[in-house]
Amino acid sequence: MDQLLQALVNGLLLGGFYGVMVLGFSVIWGVMGVINLAHGEFVMIGAYFAWVLNRSLGIDPFLSLIVIMPVMFFVGWLLQRVLINRIVERPHLIALLVTFGLSIALANLFKLFFTADPRTVPVSYNGSFELAGLTFPIVKTIVFGLSLVVMLALHIFLQYTRLGKSIRAAAQNKEAARIVGVEVGRVYAITFGICIALTAAAGAMVSTTIPVFPFMGPPFTLKAFTITALGGLGRIPGALLGGIILGVVETLVAIMVPGVGTNLGIATSFVLLVVILIVRPQGLLKGLRPMEVT
Amino acid sequence: MMTQPSPNGDHLLVADNIYAGYLDYDILKGVSLHVDKGEVVCVIGPNGAGKSTVFKAIYGLLRVRKGHIFFDGQEITNWRPQEILRAGISIVPQLHSIFPQMTVYENLEMGLYLVRDKRRIQERIDYVLSLFPRLAERRNQQAGTMSGGERRMLEIGRALLLEPKLVMMDEPSAGLAPLITRMIFENVRRLNEEIGLTVLMIEQNARQGLEYSHRGYVLELGENTYKGSARELLEDPEVRRAFLGGR
Repeated sequence: MDQLLQALVNGLLLGGFYGVMVLGFSVIWGVMGVINLAHGEFVMIGAYFAWVLNRSLGIDPFLSLIVIMPVMFFVGWLLQRVLINRIVERPHLIALLVTFGLSIALANLFKLFFTADPRTVPVSYNGSFELAGLTFPIVKTIVFGLSLVVMLALHIFLQYTRLGKSIRAAAQNKEAARIVGVEVGRVYAITFGICIALTAAAGAMVSTTIPVFPFMGPPFTLKAFTITALGGLGRIPGALLGGIILGVVETLVAIMVPGVGTNLGIATSFVLLVVILIVRPQGLLKGLRPMEVT
Repeated sequence: MMTQPSPNGDHLLVADNIYAGYLDYDILKGVSLHVDKGEVVCVIGPNGAGKSTVFKAIYGLLRVRKGHIFFDGQEITNWRPQEILRAGISIVPQLHSIFPQMTVYENLEMGLYLVRDKRRIQERIDYVLSLFPRLAERRNQQAGTMSGGERRMLEIGRALLLEPKLVMMDEPSAGLAPLITRMIFENVRRLNEEIGLTVLMIEQNARQGLEYSHRGYVLELGENTYKGSARELLEDPEVRRAFLGGR
């Protein structure tokens, strides 16, 4: 029983991270209709960014978010203007091809500069604390807390600011957005920038718990698919719920199938995806309908 | 030799002998019409006659190759849609132009996206909600969950936000049940009587469109073949036979 509760706690903590990790993928898909297969590579870039700042300047990985997010926003903005803008409003296949190419190019570029050696980002507060008989690893708890803060901030931004509303408008009805005077191209660039910044932030956070290497990206992209199918496109509460479900299921499978460890995580994620597609293809919440951003 | 027409100060909108179309092909071959302040004017005609093309040509969505368009005393031929909007023409397009997952209130806010003054935004939204009690009741409801008629009202309401001198409606009855269509037209008439709203609408539903208009134009193969008061058109035997399904 204790072991089960502990697994639930671990799954929950992992799920919070998954929730923030998937946001960028889900919002880009929901707003622009682009499935970004290079999503995991931006997690990887964020992780390396944190590692570099930590190694060369000794900056704490969580503190480094203050630098990483604005820089990666600009990277995303530029990438949208130069590359992604050419594939928006084109058939899905073109977007898949271009972003898949981008993912391979990025992973190999990083291998060229950083080699394939796994890196770790050490933090001084690497212990855990007990609460109600359950163990909470400090780092994972911080990641969970920060993830919730980021999700809440994005929710408030999209819901209540003028820019946020224009992003939702462009996602829901592009033509109507143009009619009322929204510059859709600018909105797309800003959206892409925000999403890349969020994704890199997730990468920087996760660098404290797993090794960083150039080919760490694809599993994140694949899990992003599952979570988006669970929670729906561009939906923040859905991303959190989907993330937690995946996190808990992965953790439970890991303790119940001994000797396999979390390597089975990816398999779990796909079994889950297949089950969702059979049982509830519209997703758990409102599901895989495009043009929904809340 | 082209004659140079002068802007006629009496009319709010004048389209004078306009030619427009796609590529080299003119769909409109010399269409003329005018709308006076406080009028409801309806353009009817069969499919493919160029009704929507008139709409697009006036609103700058399609290049006018020949002819002139005047609005409120100035020539607006081939202005960009944004400039025309600023000059005082709002449109209610045929395609669905609401944001389905936003509330009614947020939809209206988006209609004033280009206005920065918060007080003015509030004033205009309150004004429009006062014109449409039904929308006021549903201000916090998601627009996509409303009926087709209510959504069309929201589109019309949003067109009124910027205090337009003229509202152009492209097939306000499109995709709506007959009863709902009547409700939409009743509202157009009411707005015309209550606040003097000037409307130019393009209608497939010729009989109903004319019943709620002061004047009408019949468009056939890119030319206007008949014009007159709505009553004259409704009673004209030729028009009745060809467009109103009557005998």
